[in-house]
Amino acid sequence: MVVSLHPGGQAAPAAPAPPPAEVLVLGVGNLLVGDEGVGVHAFRVLERETWPPHVRLVDGGTGGFHLLDLLCSHARIILIDATRDGAPPGTVAQFRARVAADFPPALGAHDIGLRDLITAAALLGPLPEIDVITVSIAELKPMTLELSAPVAAALPEVSRRVRTLVG
Amino acid sequence: MSTRIVVDPITRIEGHLRIEAEVKDGRITDAWSAGTMVRGIETILKGRDPRDAWAFTERVCGVCTTVHALASVRSVEDALGVAVPPNAELIRNLMFCAQYLQDHVVHFYHLHALDWVDVVSSLKADPAEASRIAQSISNWPKSSPQYFHDLQKRLTAFVESGQLGIFANAYWGHPAYKLPPEVNLIGVAHYLEALEWQKEIVKVHTIFGGKNPHPNYLVGGVPCALNIDEANAINAERLAYVGRLFEEAARFVEQVYLPDLLAIAPFYLDWAEIGGGVSNYLCYGDLPTNGFADVARFKFPRGAVLDRDLSKVHPVDPHDPDGVRESIDHSWYSYNGGEGKALHPWDGETKFNYTGPKPPYDNLNVGGKYSWLKTPRWKGHAMEVGPLARMLVGYASGNQEIKDAVTETLAALKAPAAVLFSTLGRTAARGIETRLIARWATEFYSQLLANIRNGDSRTFTKEKWEPATWPAQARGVGASEAPRGALAHWIVIKDQKIENYQLVVPSTWNASPRDGQGQRSPYEAALIGTPVHDPTQPLEILRTVHSFDPCLACAVHLYDDRGGRLGAASTAPVL
Repeated sequence: MVVSLHPGGQAAPAAPAPPPAEVLVLGVGNLLVGDEGVGVHAFRVLERETWPPHVRLVDGGTGGFHLLDLLCSHARIILIDATRDGAPPGTVAQFRARVAADFPPALGAHDIGLRDLITAAALLGPLPEIDVITVSIAELKPMTLELSAPVAAALPEVSRRVRTLVG
Repeated sequence: MSTRIVVDPITRIEGHLRIEAEVKDGRITDAWSAGTMVRGIETILKGRDPRDAWAFTERVCGVCTTVHALASVRSVEDALGVAVPPNAELIRNLMFCAQYLQDHVVHFYHLHALDWVDVVSSLKADPAEASRIAQSISNWPKSSPQYFHDLQKRLTAFVESGQLGIFANAYWGHPAYKLPPEVNLIGVAHYLEALEWQKEIVKVHTIFGGKNPHPNYLVGGVPCALNIDEANAINAERLAYVGRLFEEAARFVEQVYLPDLLAIAPFYLDWAEIGGGVSNYLCYGDLPTNGFADVARFKFPRGAVLDRDLSKVHPVDPHDPDGVRESIDHSWYSYNGGEGKALHPWDGETKFNYTGPKPPYDNLNVGGKYSWLKTPRWKGHAMEVGPLARMLVGYASGNQEIKDAVTETLAALKAPAAVLFSTLGRTAARGIETRLIARWATEFYSQLLANIRNGDSRTFTKEKWEPATWPAQARGVGASEAPRGALAHWIVIKDQKIENYQLVVPSTWNASPRDGQGQRSPYEAALIGTPVHDPTQPLEILRTVHSFDPCLACAVHLYDDRGGRLGAASTAPVL
């Protein structure tokens, strides 16, 4: 059995150098608590679509510190995450993050909050350009793997926005 | 008069953890530990294919994403009687070691160090003196006066920007901070270097597990092919890269982590008498060197130490129905058999029964049910799990490598073995085992290369892969040692589907509520006697709780006897 691997850094197989402007599309969240996992659900939708070679899709899950290398090794990032901002569930919004404080506070189900991670990245060097696409959710639902109907209905819009951003 | 302090940390692992403590005359007289977020993974797994369970359990926690996957595949292999090929065991061991190295270093520098290292004080340090101290304790190359000078400038800029949590939210200047400014500067320098380094070591997971976070596991082996000439397999180039990552890890541990630990500890020897807690220690053992069935040849020996008696190791078998049992007298669950029962995890039940106050609330009803964690006991004893338990069980087992490593560290600190039973001992034990792990990783790596050279490229056995080959009913235990301690998954398989699945995780052992007999669990016991200089800045509580590595950022809210809020402070953020 042969599994295709995509190790980072020097371990990459001898292939042509990646395009200089690789864009990282990172979906984050916890799949085990319902709508909170919308970022990972979005990743799964995007994964089934066709993308230009400079687009790298990653399931960030509840990666915490494990995501720091990805954050520090891309100049351009599109991040997809859930937010509990009081807007109707399924509302898709987008903003350009400049400092750690721009990020929504952790929802409580990610392990290390994004804000903490961005802070860490800022300590190590200049922050990448980060566009954040958020999907509003109403609540965390323990023991639910499926998205609620309004949040699931937002996925095509997320995909459309990612496509616009990657150009 | 006594004061009730509530520490309600916003932990993002294993749900939320909350500590309530009574303080009288500057010392903690009693404490309660509560998990305030429900875990429901067991319910999600019922009825699924046992071979898929790892992929769900792995998502429970993002800090050590591999450990639940490993325990899960082992539980299925145990139930079906599958022995994985030696290379699969070695690759699992290497991923295990990479997880430990990353997790323990991150814990020391990013989750615990700022309980001991005062960032603001480091701004006053003399860079030349910091350089002199650094060079006297290690030959790590980044230690020139210029290096510390430049770093101090960077730090000053961070502090002045006011945007970075770590430099804003803490108890800087608290009298419990004892390090000279120069040692503080070294600590902060290595905080930043460790952040940079930890990004590298986890690439081992990407290489062997195909992705990170949440790498792939497989019942029956590992999901990667070994072929030194094949571009898409684990080839010579990738193996060489893994070797370099472990070499760098060993260098970081030997030249940065351990020297820092030994430089900081002598300023805090009073913490060798604080935070001991329960006197029993449990370790399932791990890192097989001759297959998982040969427990006697695990690198971390399996066993239990009771009453701190290091002359005796009690045998432990997670299959034993009278060994591990969980009760719910103080937990928000109900059992079909009623309260007061203690169930072995194979017979475990996950039926929620929340009877606590409606949030937001001031205090939990600690006389009744007060936590989402069940209370596990081993033969009725409250057991501490984690690095200290592993080192004590290894030491008591007469394991020479562990004995030597422990003895060497105690000699460097000029301290007797009794200091291990403490907050400081717990933090030291984590450093000691990290050093061992770094050495063992090199052994596993050499063994893997030797096997490949000898023509053995097997990483998977398909015997028992097909559900048609399974018995109608089977049950198994996947025991492991996660960085935070003894971890096991118990599975019951019926008609090829999961009938029951129970996890007993390290935090459940350490952070659980009291049992029906009123015995405190490790956090609760360890806090008793802990000094609290200033109830509005309970730095000391954080030191002891963080020494267990609960991996949490804390927001502390303070209440008086009548439940009114005294004040609030945000403490020891993750970053």
